[in-house]
Amino acid sequence: MTAPDAGRTPELGLAVRDLLRHAIQTYHDSPQALGWLQHHLARFDEPLRLAIAGKVKAGKSTLLNALVGEDLAPTDAGECTRLVTWYQDGHAPSLMLYPLGGAPPRPLRIQRDAAGALQIDLRGTPVSEVDRLVVTWPSSSLRSTTLIDTPGIGSLSVDVSARSTQFLTPDDSPTAADAVLYLMRHLHATDMDFLESFHDQGVARAAAVNTIAVLSRADEIGVGRIDALLSARRIAARYRGNDKLRGLCQTVVAVAGLLAHTGRTMRQDEYLALVELVGLPAGELDALLLSADRFVRPEAPASPSARTRAHLLDRFGMFGLRLSVMLLRQGVTDPGTLATELVRRSGLDELRQVLATQFTERRDLLKARSALGAVDLVLRREPRPAAAPLAAEVERILAGAHEFSELRLLSDLRDRVVRAPKELVTEAERLLGGEGSTPAQRLGVALDTDPAKLRAEALDTLGRWRSRAESPLSGRALADAARVVVRSCEGILANLGH
Amino acid sequence: MTALPANDAVELVELAVKATTAYQRPDLAARLRATRERLADPVVRVLVVGEFKQGKSQLVNSLVAAQVCPVDDDIATAVPTLVRYAESPTVTLVREADAVSGEVAPPERTEVPLAELATYVSEAGNPGNTQRLSYAEVGIPSKLLADGLALVDTPGVGGLGSVHGSATMASLASADAVVLVSDASQEYTKPELDFLAAAMKLCPNVLGVLTKTDLYPHWRRIAEIDRGHLGAARISAELIPVSSTLRLAALRSTDKELNAESGFPTLLTYLREQVLGRADQLDRRSTSHDVLGVCEQLTTTMRAELTAQQNPEQVEELVAELERAKARAVQLKDRTARWQITLNDGVTDLGADIEYDLRNRLRQISREAETLVDDSDPAEVWDQFAEWVHKEVAAATSANFIWADERAHWLAQQVAEHFADDGAALLPELRLDPGTGRAAQVTAMERPIAETLSVGEMALSGMRGGYMGGLMFFMPLTLIPGLAIAAPFAAAGAAVVLGRKQLRDEKKRSLERRKAEAKATVRKHVDEVQFQVGTDSRDMLRRVQRALRDHFMTVAEELHTSMTESVTAAQGALRSTEAERTTRIGDLKAELVRVEALAERARTLAATS
Repeated sequence: MTAPDAGRTPELGLAVRDLLRHAIQTYHDSPQALGWLQHHLARFDEPLRLAIAGKVKAGKSTLLNALVGEDLAPTDAGECTRLVTWYQDGHAPSLMLYPLGGAPPRPLRIQRDAAGALQIDLRGTPVSEVDRLVVTWPSSSLRSTTLIDTPGIGSLSVDVSARSTQFLTPDDSPTAADAVLYLMRHLHATDMDFLESFHDQGVARAAAVNTIAVLSRADEIGVGRIDALLSARRIAARYRGNDKLRGLCQTVVAVAGLLAHTGRTMRQDEYLALVELVGLPAGELDALLLSADRFVRPEAPASPSARTRAHLLDRFGMFGLRLSVMLLRQGVTDPGTLATELVRRSGLDELRQVLATQFTERRDLLKARSALGAVDLVLRREPRPAAAPLAAEVERILAGAHEFSELRLLSDLRDRVVRAPKELVTEAERLLGGEGSTPAQRLGVALDTDPAKLRAEALDTLGRWRSRAESPLSGRALADAARVVVRSCEGILANLGH
Repeated sequence: MTALPANDAVELVELAVKATTAYQRPDLAARLRATRERLADPVVRVLVVGEFKQGKSQLVNSLVAAQVCPVDDDIATAVPTLVRYAESPTVTLVREADAVSGEVAPPERTEVPLAELATYVSEAGNPGNTQRLSYAEVGIPSKLLADGLALVDTPGVGGLGSVHGSATMASLASADAVVLVSDASQEYTKPELDFLAAAMKLCPNVLGVLTKTDLYPHWRRIAEIDRGHLGAARISAELIPVSSTLRLAALRSTDKELNAESGFPTLLTYLREQVLGRADQLDRRSTSHDVLGVCEQLTTTMRAELTAQQNPEQVEELVAELERAKARAVQLKDRTARWQITLNDGVTDLGADIEYDLRNRLRQISREAETLVDDSDPAEVWDQFAEWVHKEVAAATSANFIWADERAHWLAQQVAEHFADDGAALLPELRLDPGTGRAAQVTAMERPIAETLSVGEMALSGMRGGYMGGLMFFMPLTLIPGLAIAAPFAAAGAAVVLGRKQLRDEKKRSLERRKAEAKATVRKHVDEVQFQVGTDSRDMLRRVQRALRDHFMTVAEELHTSMTESVTAAQGALRSTEAERTTRIGDLKAELVRVEALAERARTLAATS
């Protein structure tokens, strides 16, 4: 991954760490504040925390498994995730139960079921007494990002829903997550409501920037038809243009989670079973693919057996099966190619790209925001004269760090607080880092463009926006916005200069 | 089951009409003719409801084996669509006229080609139903619909509080059955179960359909879980799993096995037996009771004369008693009769209560809205705020409607009971001829009713073209027109849109002024809603009052006529000679037997349904 804006973010990181250390000194005599601040200092160096939220059966656990590339979180036909569960990288696998009320965590035994997913046995502890579970699992996918699986919102069990709500939008403190992946199967009134509740009004108001909406179970949107994902992508694109949604999340991506996960974890025997299927007479195979019941029926064909077929259906889903059959018929001849193609078509690659651009590359920025929020909370809850310089420091960082200005402006552009012609808005968002923070991404050119061309483009863009900032015809809001963009352009040039 | 609904019911009514003509009771004949008309054009309305994207439109299409309702991955239905039988395909757009000064203008109907239906009823073509259509009516020559079934495809319910939700709730009251559609990808959600519970209050015939079983391998498990939820919530509804995709494929390829797998045969059987069948049953029973009522009145007159003929020395006493009965019948028609007082006072009280309830709810919303405005800058949050107001108003009008509906039912039942009480006391005892067992005859007529319909069922079914009334007076109550039809498809709250324009212009003015303007806008909106909804409910009540009054007045007239004829017949007996008397007795006995035979047929009709 390319290093974002070298020379910028470390400054911000240093400033925030300093701020936290000063705050710890100032509040050394208040145990609660001290614990809180120390925790946040430690947290600052930890991986980014990405919460996966959404309504019941939106496909959160499945997508989590797809992102990790392993069978990890349990998935089931009925409602299964009932507790907030953290998945973080570590040397050795472990499962810890954190009780409510701050008592020390208890280790639980790790058991995996036949499918390979974790089987969570609380050993008698009632669910109501548990704050969260933490799974430590050695995985490169978790190294830069800790994933947090949450119970579905809108669960029939009000308590279960409440746990998610409390975690994601706590009444009294900033959320424990740095960013949110919000899964929805269609855009529903309650989804809008929930997205709105993430919209925080506090420090560094740039809420839309830390949420990505995912149109999940995308294959089902098209009821398993072979063109389902195409249809889903079109719908995602339409949602992206939705004014209201733009103010609530950074972008919308369509993903078929089950297919993505299976593609990443496909086994040789599964591939062979698929090949066997394709070897059946076309009429027979087409009849099998008409419905889930038909596909697993015990009578013919004898091979693959009904048991194998049931397993395939569980792993691929009807859409996945139809797609795999089509790909094999079209000439795919090895499991690797099939798997890659399935993952690509599932939309997972696109999601990972968006995650990289919007979250991972902005890691320090998002973490800084969380840290500033934490300090701000302490200042509000326990005000004291000695803390005045701290408040000033918070202000300075917010005002000074250009990254925050960029975030704020991006948010304002999305909320249409700043009104400007559409092309200008699109260009501005890009220059501010909305689609990625490397110079090429900001300028909207190919990643392998040679540096000389990049410089020329940057200078040209800078000139245009400078005139906009200085033109008396630009309204006040547009002029202010242009000045921020100019600063970003200068940053691009500075970056290229290295 | 006969192909045409209630064939034998039609025959029976025609026989009864002949009898009333023969016995010179044109007033009774008129009532029977109305019954006949109702039988000739039965419409059994089935509402198809459910959350967004659960497969409602595709289900309707699969049932009628035609691509009628627009279906698309991204498309959502915005306007209710009524699908009924017609000889050749037609599409009519209906726009209910706004009620002006209490007079209900006929709705505006426009025909459009079927291919254009999507532009009018889908979110894409008609976003938020800005075209203000009440509903679309599609007529197609489908076999399923030929028996009188009509399907209504509704916009997806976004929870009970959403605008679509409240409109659907209101239309439930006039539905004969409700089908809640939920797909097999997950179990019932809380909003769906809440909706079902509320739906059962307004329409007792509820069915759950689990769709897309072709796509989800675990559909059986979901069905089991769903049935568990229904049981736990004490919702007595069946759950039928289906796949519209398989059904459509089966229709194309005429594959019987595929058709069986689609689950549609079970669904169709349910619709035929539980929905059409029950409506059919109700038709038969109400017809039977109509005819029995007529027989009762004919018998009264005949028996009065018979008694007089058989006991000429007691005629004077008999006539005196009959005159008293006639006087009571006159009383029953009078404005001061108990049932009339109950009706008129009841309607007045109910009207006041409904208005008070609505005003109260709206006032609360106003107050909350003002608090919200105080806490923010209205210009910044206007869209969300307006949406919040709309939602709250929709929920309030919906709750107000459900409550009004329940009270109206209750009032109707009260009126019927009072009428029945007074009417029952009306008939002379005629103890002068214990031998002929008139009392026994009466009991024979009473029994079927007490056994077959519980009071609750009677009260409810009365509102749905079935049947209501006390024991002696079997009074069918035709569907009270407009009790709910006007309301849903013209959800008053939704039609009035909070204005946004004023706020934009206020950017330059101060915050305080913006807040004041916002509050004024809300107040105006709430007043508008109160006015429109209030007008609608007043209209509804007026129609209820008129229907009840007309109906019971007719019955009172018939009773009066019967009593008058009885008096005349009894007095006539005085003047007969011995020979004439004997002949006449013989004739009367024969006629009584004939009428009894008719009554027996009517009883059989009720018993076989």
